[in-house]
Amino acid sequence: MVDNDRDFYGQEWKEDRGEKSSTYLDASELVLNMGPQHPSTHGVLRVILKLDGEKVLGTECVIGYLHRGVEKIGENRTYTMFAPYVDRMDYVAAVSNGLGYCTAVEKLINVEAPPRAQYIRVIMTELQRIASHQVWLGTHALDIGAMTPLFYTFRDREEILKIFEKYCGARLTTHAFRIGGCQYETYEGFEKEVKKVCAFMEPKFGEYEELLTTNRIWVERTKGVGKLNGDECKALGVTGPVLRASGVKWDLRKAQPYSGYDKFEFDIPVGENGDTYDRYMVRVKELHQSLRIIRQAVDNIPEGPILAKVPKVLKPPVGEIYHSIEAPKGELGYFIVSDGSLQPYRMRIRPPSFVNLQALDKMVRGLLVADVVAVIGTLDIVLGEVDR
Amino acid sequence: MLRKIFMVDLLRGLRVTFKYQHPREIYTEQYPLERPVIAERYRGLPRMNVNPDTGETLCISCDLCAKACPEHLIVVESERDPVTKRKVLKNYTYDISRCMFCGLCEEACSTDALELSQDYEIATYGRENLVLDLKRLEAGPEPTEYTR
Amino acid sequence: MLDQLTGYLSSNLTPGAAGNSLWALIYILLIFAGVSFFVMLMNWVERKALAHFQIRLGPMRVGPHGLLQPIADAVKLMTKEDVIPAGADKTIFWMAPVWVVLTGFTTLIVVPFGPTHAVTDMNIGILYMLGISSLGVLGIIMAGWASNSHYPLMGSLRSSAQMVSYEVAMGLAIVSAIMMTSFTGYGMYGAGTAAGTGTLSMIQIVEAQKAQHVWFVFKFFPLGFIAFGIFAIAMIAETNRAPFDLPEAESELVAGFHTEYSGLRWSLFMLAEYAGMFAVSSIAATLWLGGWMRPFPNALAGPTWDLAFSLVPGALLLLVAVAAFYNAARMPKHLAMRIQTLGLWGLGAVIALVGLIMLIPAVRVRIADISWFVMKVGFFMYLYIWYRATFPRYRFDQLMRVGWKVLLPVALGVLIVTGIAGLTPELLAWAKGAR
Repeated sequence: MVDNDRDFYGQEWKEDRGEKSSTYLDASELVLNMGPQHPSTHGVLRVILKLDGEKVLGTECVIGYLHRGVEKIGENRTYTMFAPYVDRMDYVAAVSNGLGYCTAVEKLINVEAPPRAQYIRVIMTELQRIASHQVWLGTHALDIGAMTPLFYTFRDREEILKIFEKYCGARLTTHAFRIGGCQYETYEGFEKEVKKVCAFMEPKFGEYEELLTTNRIWVERTKGVGKLNGDECKALGVTGPVLRASGVKWDLRKAQPYSGYDKFEFDIPVGENGDTYDRYMVRVKELHQSLRIIRQAVDNIPEGPILAKVPKVLKPPVGEIYHSIEAPKGELGYFIVSDGSLQPYRMRIRPPSFVNLQALDKMVRGLLVADVVAVIGTLDIVLGEVDR
Repeated sequence: MLRKIFMVDLLRGLRVTFKYQHPREIYTEQYPLERPVIAERYRGLPRMNVNPDTGETLCISCDLCAKACPEHLIVVESERDPVTKRKVLKNYTYDISRCMFCGLCEEACSTDALELSQDYEIATYGRENLVLDLKRLEAGPEPTEYTR
Repeated sequence: MLDQLTGYLSSNLTPGAAGNSLWALIYILLIFAGVSFFVMLMNWVERKALAHFQIRLGPMRVGPHGLLQPIADAVKLMTKEDVIPAGADKTIFWMAPVWVVLTGFTTLIVVPFGPTHAVTDMNIGILYMLGISSLGVLGIIMAGWASNSHYPLMGSLRSSAQMVSYEVAMGLAIVSAIMMTSFTGYGMYGAGTAAGTGTLSMIQIVEAQKAQHVWFVFKFFPLGFIAFGIFAIAMIAETNRAPFDLPEAESELVAGFHTEYSGLRWSLFMLAEYAGMFAVSSIAATLWLGGWMRPFPNALAGPTWDLAFSLVPGALLLLVAVAAFYNAARMPKHLAMRIQTLGLWGLGAVIALVGLIMLIPAVRVRIADISWFVMKVGFFMYLYIWYRATFPRYRFDQLMRVGWKVLLPVALGVLIVTGIAGLTPELLAWAKGAR
């Protein structure tokens, strides 16, 4: 099934895909298939590796095993009906997806959510960012071999999911926000619980670092692995913590503030080398910054309505917009084309994991097989997003 | 340098995992014996509420829930009562096999008839059991008691 | 036959030394049964301890607190379908697990549970153990080769390369410990009157520690400690356990040399792995931690201290029984849990009975050596599990680098410095005499 002379699209392996000329099948080259069912490809991702002994010469990612046609579904549902589908794309960070969608449609119909709703949205999104990074940390550590951080991070994430459950009724596929604001009022004791969770989380982050950051085995496995410098990132369109770890200080929450992020004070952690260790450090620092934002937000929630005046039957004006937010994995963008009817004409979603996955090929050239797993983990891909 | 020789970083990691052994840290809920506490707003199995005094269904067959559902899986059958000129609910079908538990139907309901309860034990043995009719919806959650 | 049976009881030698083959057979069977039981126990302890490190509970349903889980696993593995991959070399395929188990258990002949409690005391005991465990590598290579698939082949080659390279460091550390048997203590590094005699026999090494009044881990401090540390790291790599378990890791492409083995064959590999862990832990306990000796045999000597220390094994078992009773009282009062609660009370009662028996003076004296030895080996097992819970995995090239570039030079250095330290009186005398 795998033609060793041609890549997936039938084109010959190009010359610049490795040190050797790969139009011949050399006896020392091996084509290895990390199949769709694999414990550490974070979903159904198939990676075809071309190896020279242990070193990787090139890779080919085969995706589409989780394609559910979300964009096509979007063309057949009204705007309010489509919101639950959006959660299922990046199922690890559903609230961010919802935020992106709702802010995009609000931009289309030129409505702004009231300030109270914006604060609630910020709190929920930052909590979701912490939860998503915790999942990432646990699974990444598991790929590299440390099995306990997985349990610690998932246990701590439970506290956040409990808040989600109390607030919007579901832990994972939250459907938390509506077009024009939030549907649910904060429940009794919301602020107290959020503050308790923040206080609970801070020492836990210190523990994750204690287990991993200075651990010599971890450092050896991650330093220098999967280097990607800033120009390559920009050329490939990679965003999110991967971009920031390569030295480019670009965060959509500061560059194009949405939903009231300009009212909060937080730093953007930036790395230097763009290797796996720097991506790890950037995400860990982002955890602390998210706590900072949550603390500022929860102290100052303004009173007022939570849902702006949006007609029940939503017919946006003809036009198109692109709106993107800083999801935990990168820049999540929505491009909505409206033709004036109840249903969008085109609902295009720019998933961060899909674009980040392109960098895999560049990052693993010359690395060993054991590092491929680490690099896939450090890109933080979720196949639901890649395939939609 | 000394830290490297004495493997201080490894020892710190060991201390962290050692600390977690205390039984108070254990977070497992042993499921059928201890059931978790579910929040009130949890979107679980749907149920139809009845009027507590008369026992009649609260649904007025406005069909808003069926229109709000993204998956179009609610079917409301009603007939118009010739006397009061109001719609009377005859049959109500809810198909859980495609339901996303998104809660749009619950929000759309104009009375308090349809609500998503806290029931999460929805698994059944056959596909027919996934289509709920009015009787099952009014019965509500029935958690199983385990004896083995 | 009968006088062979009874004649041994009054003698004070190992069966091998006494030439008593019947008792040798009995000892072998005892060791085999004991280590097999130990392996099952280790399986349970590993799952429970690993789970507790990871804030969860581990098996709880199968028996009370999962105590019957190893039995359930054994039954499951034995009744599984025996799959042999197509194109596999059948003879080598079945021989590989047998070989590994054979070499794993043969090393246990010379393990000294007490001054006369070994099957035989070869005067090349430690060399024998090292040699046989090196033979075990052959079994792994056979397993990878016979599977006819390149993932197990790569895994087995990596695993064998790892084991061979760490044996070098292990061997050097062992040599430095053996050298210490021939150096008498002097000054603050152990006193003692016996003249040192170099020996490779396991029992004699412990006797040397006894005569020199110092455990070798503390002798010529910090040299003994460093040698112990090197051995402790090398023995983890030798048995393919975390953090050196790349060949058998699940999240790598190559799933290890025992990929194609299912059912009983796989359980044989597991048995051999735990028996190997037991063997290298017992080497560590014998060579550095004083074998069967109780702690502080000289610093805290005297009849009261002897009494106190001899009560420890029985007291430990009683503690375990109390823990069993406590947990039995805390079991949920559900209808489904009645039998399990009863079982746990019963188990607690049995352990309490055994603990009380171990407190009887006549039994105490005999059990003391074996129980101290087993406690020390158990300590190493706990360390194994602790490391597995905490550390990430080394990549294969980093693993080899650690083995050759870090451990080997340090081991060589320790060896040379131990030699110099041990010969210091003679060197000083020679220097004095030379002027």
